[in-house]
Amino acid sequence: MVVEDDQPILELMEILLRRLGYEPILVMNGLEALEEVKKSPPELILLDIMMTPINGWEILEKLRGEYGQKDLPVLLFTAAPMVQKEVAKLNDPALGILQKPVSFAELSAALQKFLSR
Amino acid sequence: MDRFVTIWHYRVSHTDLVRFWVIASLAISSTFVTALALARNVDTIYPQLFYFPILYASYFYPRRGIYVAGACTVAYEALSYYHSFPNLLGMGYATGQGILFICVGAAVSYFTDKIKTSEARYRSIFEYSPIGIVLFDQNTFAITLANDQFGAMLGYTAEELVKTPFSHLFFNRDEQRRFYERFGSSEEIVDFETRLATRGSEPFYVNLSWSRLNGNLVSCSVIDVNTRTQGKEAAEDHAARYRQVTESSPTGIVIIQNMQIIYTNPSFTTFSGYARDDLIGRELSAFVHADDATDFQGYLKQAETHPLPPGKTEFRFLTKTGETKLATLFSTMIKQGGKPALLINIVDISEREKLKDQIEQDSERRRGVISTVAHELRTPLQPIMGYLNLLMQDPKGFGLTDETKNILDRCLQSVDRERQIINQMLEFSVLDSGKTDLDYSTFSLSALLKNIIETGGYMMKADIAIEIPLDVTFEADQNKIYVVINSMLSNAVNYSKPPRRIKIIYRSSSSDTHHRLAIQDNGVGITGTQLDAIFEPFQLADSEKLSRKYDRIGLSLSIAKKYIQMHGGYISVDSIVSVGSTFTIHIPKIRPKEVVKDGT
Repeated sequence: MVVEDDQPILELMEILLRRLGYEPILVMNGLEALEEVKKSPPELILLDIMMTPINGWEILEKLRGEYGQKDLPVLLFTAAPMVQKEVAKLNDPALGILQKPVSFAELSAALQKFLSR
Repeated sequence: MDRFVTIWHYRVSHTDLVRFWVIASLAISSTFVTALALARNVDTIYPQLFYFPILYASYFYPRRGIYVAGACTVAYEALSYYHSFPNLLGMGYATGQGILFICVGAAVSYFTDKIKTSEARYRSIFEYSPIGIVLFDQNTFAITLANDQFGAMLGYTAEELVKTPFSHLFFNRDEQRRFYERFGSSEEIVDFETRLATRGSEPFYVNLSWSRLNGNLVSCSVIDVNTRTQGKEAAEDHAARYRQVTESSPTGIVIIQNMQIIYTNPSFTTFSGYARDDLIGRELSAFVHADDATDFQGYLKQAETHPLPPGKTEFRFLTKTGETKLATLFSTMIKQGGKPALLINIVDISEREKLKDQIEQDSERRRGVISTVAHELRTPLQPIMGYLNLLMQDPKGFGLTDETKNILDRCLQSVDRERQIINQMLEFSVLDSGKTDLDYSTFSLSALLKNIIETGGYMMKADIAIEIPLDVTFEADQNKIYVVINSMLSNAVNYSKPPRRIKIIYRSSSSDTHHRLAIQDNGVGITGTQLDAIFEPFQLADSEKLSRKYDRIGLSLSIAKKYIQMHGGYISVDSIVSVGSTFTIHIPKIRPKEVVKDGT
C-alpha cells in the first residue's frame, strides 16, 4: 500500500511497483489508509510522513497500537530530514526508511528486504 | 652717601656738622643781637630770632632740639633779667618768652618725631614686606615706586618697573579689561584675583588690593597666590577629568567604603533603575540577586586584595523593576577621602547574553528553514528520478535509441548529484546544530577501505596503491569515517585527469598518539590561498577560480572536517599546483574522554 498525498509521486509509484510485479493499493491520506488496513491489511506500507490531517508518525502509532499491526512492514517514504534518529529511537525491526528521491534500484532492494522477513 | 668724621669718640656725618654750625651760629648771633638791642634799648622783635635755631634744631634733631631751646631760653633770660632788673613787668615778659621757646621746641620735636617714626614704619613696611607693593599714577598707570618683592614675583628688579605702566603687566587683554572695570568701579578694592605676566610671559596668579592715596597716587598690594592657585587648578583639573571619565563611562562604576555605596555613576543608576539617592549609603549586596548573595560577599572580601579575584566574577543584579541582569565585575582599591575604598566596574553582560540567545534562536530558525527547503526540493525530484529510472530500466520496451538513452543517463546523473548536494546540505545543517552523536566501534581500516573502493568503483577510475598494514584498527564512528574517506577519494578522482594515480598511505608509528591516513593524488592541486577555503561551507561560490576547478566539492569537505573534529582529530593538506594534493586525516588512537560534541 502506498500512502502519499503528492499526486505525481503516487502515480509514479504505481507504475514502478507494478513493473516490479506488485499490486499497489493507492491512498492519498492517513484516514483512508487506516480504513483500508482495517478492511484488509496489506503486505507492506510505503508511508509518507508530512501529510494532513494525520501525519505518518501518527498513522504509524495507530497501526502499532490500536490496529495491532506490530509486524506489518512499514517503510517511511519521506523527503523530511532527521528521520533516521527518530526511527533509531523506536527500535522497530519492521520499520525502515526510504529517503526521497529514491532510485528504482533502492526501491526494489528495500521492498525485497522487508517482504522477505 | 654721607661722609663721616670722628670727633672724640663720636662718629659724626658731614651733614650733622654743617647743621651744628648753622644752629650754633644762629643761636650765637641771636644772643648777640638780643644783647645789643637790650643794651641800646632798641625795642624790636629780637626775641623771635631765637626761633630760628630752635625750629631748625627741633626739626632735624627732635630730642636734642629741646636742649637747644633750653640753652637759647637760658641765654635770653639771662640777658633780659640783667637789663630789666628790678622791673617786674619786664622780667615777667622775658619769663613768658622763655617758656614759649621751650614749648615751641618741644612741640616741633614731638611732631617731627611722630612724622619720622611713621615714615620709617612705612618705609620698613614697603621694603621688608613679604607682599609686593606698588605705587602708580591713577591716570597714566605709570609705576612711581615698587618694592623688590613685587619685582621678584615677575622677574624684574624694582628699578626696572619704575615708569612702566602697571596696566601693561597683566597676562592678557581679558585680565587687563577686568582690572580696568574694577579700577573704575571703586576707590578701594580688596582681593582682586588676576593674572599678571612674568618677564617670560608666563601667567602669574596674584591677589590685588588697592586704595587711592592723596593726589593721583594709588597704592596697590600684590599677594602671590600663584603656587596655591596653580596647585589648586591642577587638582581641580585632575578631579574634573576623573569625574568626567567615571560619569560618562558606559560601564557602571560604584565606590564602596565601609560596605556602603558612596558613589555611583549614571551608567549604574541606569543599569539598576535606582536613583543615585536610593543607592548612596546602601550596601551594594542589597542589589544583588539573593542566589548570588553569598558568592558576592566572598567576592567583596577578596576584591580588597585581588584586582581580579579568583572564582566567580559574574553576578546577577536585581533592578528596581524586578528584572534580573547579569554583570561581570572588576575592582580596584582606591583612596577616597584619605581612607581605602573599593571601586567596582560593573559591566552589563545581560545584553550580550540576550544577543547570544537571539543568535541561537536565529540559527535554529535557519536550520528549520533549511529542513523545510530540503524537503520541498527533494519531493519533486522523486518523479523525475523515478521516471528516468523507469525508462532506463527497459530502454527497448520504451523504444529508446542508444542516443536518447545516453541523454537520459546524463539527466539521471544530474538528478543524483542534486540529491547528493541536498543531502549534504542537510547533513551539514544538522552537524551545525550539534545534534549529531558519534557511534563508536572498533573496525579494521583495510576492510573499510576495501568496502569504500568497491562500492565507489574507484578501481575503475584510477590506479590506486594502498600501503596500509592489515592489523590497523580504528576506534571511531565507522559510518562517519566511511563518509570522510569516501569524500577524499571522490575528490582525488574528480580533480585529476587520467592517468590518475592515487596513493593511500598509513603513516603512524606505534608510539604515535594519532592514526595518520594520507590520500595522495596527482591532480590539479590547490594554491595556498584556496587551502582554507576548501573546508568552508559554500565558500566555493565566492571564489571564482576555485569554483571552476572544484565545482563539485560542495559540502563534502566541510562535513569531513566536522566529522574528524568530532573525533578529536583534524585534516591537513599539502598541495603543489599541477603536481597534486595530499589530504591527511589525523585521528586520536584512543577515544578522547571529552569529544567536542557540537563539532565546532
